[in-house]
Amino acid sequence: MGKVKSAIITSLLVAALLVLALFATISCNVPGTNNVKRYNSFLSGIHLGSDLTGEAYALLYPKGVISVTDYYLVVNDDDNENKGDYIDKYVSRNGVFVEKDKAEDEEFAKSVLSDAKIISDRLNQKGYAGYSVTVEDGFVIKMTMPTNFTWAAFREHDAASRSEELNRISNVVQLFMMDGTVSLRDNAEYESSKSLISIREDFASFFTGVRYYAMGGNTAVQLDLTDDGFTKLNSVVTALESSTNAYIYVGENNLGLQLKGGTALESKTLYFSATENNAQNFAILLDSVVNDNVLVNSYNDDTANSGTELIVATPAYGEYAAVCVLVALILVLLAAIIYPIIKYKKLGLVNALIAITYSLVMIVSLLLLEIQLTVGGAVFVALGLALLTFTNVRVFESVRTETMTGRTIQASVKDGYKKRIFEVLDLHVILLIASIIVALVCVGELAACGFIFFIATIASYVLHWFTRFMWFVISSPVKDKFKFCGFAREVLDDEV
Amino acid sequence: MKSNKMGFENLKLSSKMHLLIIISSVVIAIGLSVGIICQFVANGFFNYNDDYANYKSVTVDYEDIDFSGSGKEPREVIDEICAKSFEKNGVSYYLLTQGNTTTGGKIVYKFAYSADSKNIDAAVAEINAEIEREVEGAGGIQFSYASSHVNDAILGNGLSLSRAAIAVATVIAVHFIYFAIRYRLTMALAAVLADVHNLALYIALVALCRIPVGSAIATFAVLTVLFTVIGTCFTFERMRKNLKSDEYKKLSAFELSDRSANETLLINVTMPACLAALSLILFVVLSISSLSPFVILAPVFCSLIAFIVCAYGTAIFVPSVYPRFKQIGDNVKAKSKAKTLQK
Repeated sequence: MGKVKSAIITSLLVAALLVLALFATISCNVPGTNNVKRYNSFLSGIHLGSDLTGEAYALLYPKGVISVTDYYLVVNDDDNENKGDYIDKYVSRNGVFVEKDKAEDEEFAKSVLSDAKIISDRLNQKGYAGYSVTVEDGFVIKMTMPTNFTWAAFREHDAASRSEELNRISNVVQLFMMDGTVSLRDNAEYESSKSLISIREDFASFFTGVRYYAMGGNTAVQLDLTDDGFTKLNSVVTALESSTNAYIYVGENNLGLQLKGGTALESKTLYFSATENNAQNFAILLDSVVNDNVLVNSYNDDTANSGTELIVATPAYGEYAAVCVLVALILVLLAAIIYPIIKYKKLGLVNALIAITYSLVMIVSLLLLEIQLTVGGAVFVALGLALLTFTNVRVFESVRTETMTGRTIQASVKDGYKKRIFEVLDLHVILLIASIIVALVCVGELAACGFIFFIATIASYVLHWFTRFMWFVISSPVKDKFKFCGFAREVLDDEV
Repeated sequence: MKSNKMGFENLKLSSKMHLLIIISSVVIAIGLSVGIICQFVANGFFNYNDDYANYKSVTVDYEDIDFSGSGKEPREVIDEICAKSFEKNGVSYYLLTQGNTTTGGKIVYKFAYSADSKNIDAAVAEINAEIEREVEGAGGIQFSYASSHVNDAILGNGLSLSRAAIAVATVIAVHFIYFAIRYRLTMALAAVLADVHNLALYIALVALCRIPVGSAIATFAVLTVLFTVIGTCFTFERMRKNLKSDEYKKLSAFELSDRSANETLLINVTMPACLAALSLILFVVLSISSLSPFVILAPVFCSLIAFIVCAYGTAIFVPSVYPRFKQIGDNVKAKSKAKTLQK
């Protein structure tokens, strides 16, 4: 390759990397918009786990249980007419106030515990990268979920994304705390509706299960009916007037899933189109309910209670945990750049270019695929970089060994890569399979880690060969190729 | 020990097989025993923390007012009051989180389940008295209260743990099949032994050390297996290559294994060491960020164990055991060859 060609390819690649790096790392206010609009970098658009941007939690108080604040709000107010009632009615239990009869009722406490387990199972199905359900003081359920904020949303530079994520969590809380069983009713308003299923029938027994369905960008709730359930439901729906719809309720809540009256059901599988998030939540909730996992108590609907509030808590690792993880990853990147430069001189620079490309590929992939990054995920990103660097260094060593036999650099590179070809291939193939298994089998954080490593492995293998290409391109115009690679030239006896 | 450019020479690992097996077995046996005993008498096989453990907490709901008239953020004032009361009553929390509410904010201090409830309650009473004084001073009505709670965790992350276990088992099975096809059956068996050995050692050490751990256990269990896959790839690829060369063909299984292991020792130790260095960097920076090294201790500790185990297991233990596998394999091969010839 000629000098000009080499310079053009190298300059184009470096320029592309520089531009990409700029967009990937620098956030700023868009000039000329009076600081109204802001450009958020790729990095600040990556979704982060609860260890980096905190978690959101909600406290669920069953009927008859109120918080300390709600209690003292009334009791400490001498003008409040309910003050006396509260003092007579409630008794303190650790950090909450419980109606006297319920405070001594073991069955009530057991029912709250049972509800907490059902809610935990429902959250489990969501596949969150870390969540928890605890029973506070034996009477209050605390649901904690990751916020899934991006850095921009966390720092409140991207209000839309922040409120979107909070709405999602809020929906989950509202749906998963629904009590009561599933029913089919004839009106969208609970108060004016009546059940379409006879009191002797159990509507839940009509179904074998409920699943989330997604295909070709469409998402739906999939309800699978039993043979008996299909016959019965069909007769109920066809008996309705065409102007009336049948609505699916959980407890007193209309889920918005409706069947058209007077129209016969076509198959034993019913599909209700919904947004991705709703379809998943409805499917989890309904599946839980039709399998007899019904919440016994109603939560946060007592007038004495201040209602459900979603609280966004600071991350356990501190507010700047994400920046710290980034700093650690930059240090790893620097190590992966500096060590080869020291050892292989300008060939190390080629490796540096590849390491930077890998980093940008990972940033763009995490951004576009909306993978949630946690500290564990960051370790897998670093593992991918280590894989790339170590395979490159092993090949460089292999080439060095070849040059020691007195061969030219070109011949050594060819043989060095040839000797390592199966080692590198085997390593990447098996890691690729392993990462697919982890991504598909695991849930939550580990599934995300598996997906990250899947991308990292592919990137590592592709960039491994790209290293050879760039080595060829950059070293082409160089006269002393041994010096370029930092290899000592072996002087053969017949040359002396 | 003399080092060469690619690895080390004269390290006779195969002769240390019995010693290494004893060491590994003893550590695994002690670790598993401690874990099993703790499962019944303590708080579980591992010393669970964060996502899995029960805890006590103090919650302070505060309103958005100028508490001490100093212009300070209400959170700062509340935090100062709480810190003083906790210190006075001899209780210390391990985690603090803060969140905004519609009326102000909420601070949650998490304490170990074993923390003395009386002392916590005394601290809460003091905090409430102090807040009342502050509010009265400001001439307002008190809407800010501290309360102590006992939180019982529901082990809901069971699905993530069971799925991780299934994934690890599947990866080990795939590891075996791939090595059996691409390399040799004896190498595949040794690779599976490496996976199982490293995983067992990792689990045993985490159980033995009783450091509070959370969901990081599963993440680093998967990482242990992945690292073992990488390590065995390097080791057995080298062995396979060496087996093809005339110089190595003449060597016994023990010498071949030793030489191949020496050549790959460096990479099998360096790679986990680099990741261990990353863990230490994360430990330092996140300790600074969270103002407490204890918060990040669990994942860092798990990762360090995982990397040390991988370095030991793949670079030292497996090469010491492999020659026996090869010997058995060769014997079986020779016998079947003799049988065929007899026929």
